[in-house]
Amino acid sequence: MPDNWSYVAAAYGLTALVLGLYWRHLVRKENELADDQIAERSQKPSRPAHPRPDSTTRGPLQR
Amino acid sequence: MVRALGWLSALALAIGLVMAFGVAPRETSQGNVQRIMYVHPPLAWVAYVAFAVVAAASIVYLVRRRPAADRLAHASAEVGVLFTGLAIATGSIWGKPTWGTWWTWDARLTSVAILFVMYVGYLLLRGTIEDRERAARYCAVLGIVAALDMPLVHFSVYWWRTLHQPPSLMKPGGFSGSPAILWPLLVNLAAFTLLYAYLVAKRARLLRAERGALA
Repeated sequence: MPDNWSYVAAAYGLTALVLGLYWRHLVRKENELADDQIAERSQKPSRPAHPRPDSTTRGPLQR
Repeated sequence: MVRALGWLSALALAIGLVMAFGVAPRETSQGNVQRIMYVHPPLAWVAYVAFAVVAAASIVYLVRRRPAADRLAHASAEVGVLFTGLAIATGSIWGKPTWGTWWTWDARLTSVAILFVMYVGYLLLRGTIEDRERAARYCAVLGIVAALDMPLVHFSVYWWRTLHQPPSLMKPGGFSGSPAILWPLLVNLAAFTLLYAYLVAKRARLLRAERGALA
């Protein structure tokens, strides 16, 4: 029987291509999600960790 | 952990490739086209594993309502569809020079095609229902029902007269061929199983992040 190397190459090539493309799709989605999270965090207004109480609620020593 | 699994599966796949082309001998009756058998049965094996995981995770989800079980079922179904599609394609590529046809409606091929279509339907169902909890519930039921096709796929070669040969490994009495063929096949089975575990872990992690971002 002839060796039919082209069929062997097609089977291995197709498997490598499809699995490689799926892996790349996952990596790209992961990177996009990480970028979105970074952008979301940078858009939020920064709040001080210990906000100063307003003047009406301050104690006599704080005024 | 996931990254280590990725490197491990890449290494195993490289060893499997070397064994398929460097260690395994040229088969006497089929010639070198038989080397497709170091990739086609491992792909089919992973498809079995993937859909068994979908069914098990679906049962866990229906009983305990754990989102992690739903994410695992979703990820495993997606990867399983990919591997089933590749198993069908590589089998078809092998069939043309060996059987003289790309496709025939024999019991094994038809039952695998039905399995493939059912899990494509599973993924489409997930995409069409907006309510996440309802989608998870419906898909869990479908994931269990679709898994009932797996014994039919496996035993179809015994129950009906088919062009497809009986299994080489998963049969009573085990593998009867040469160890020079068995070892490359076993290494590739392990390599593709590792790759499956890596892709599912990566996809499940991504689903968790996506759902967290949407919540």
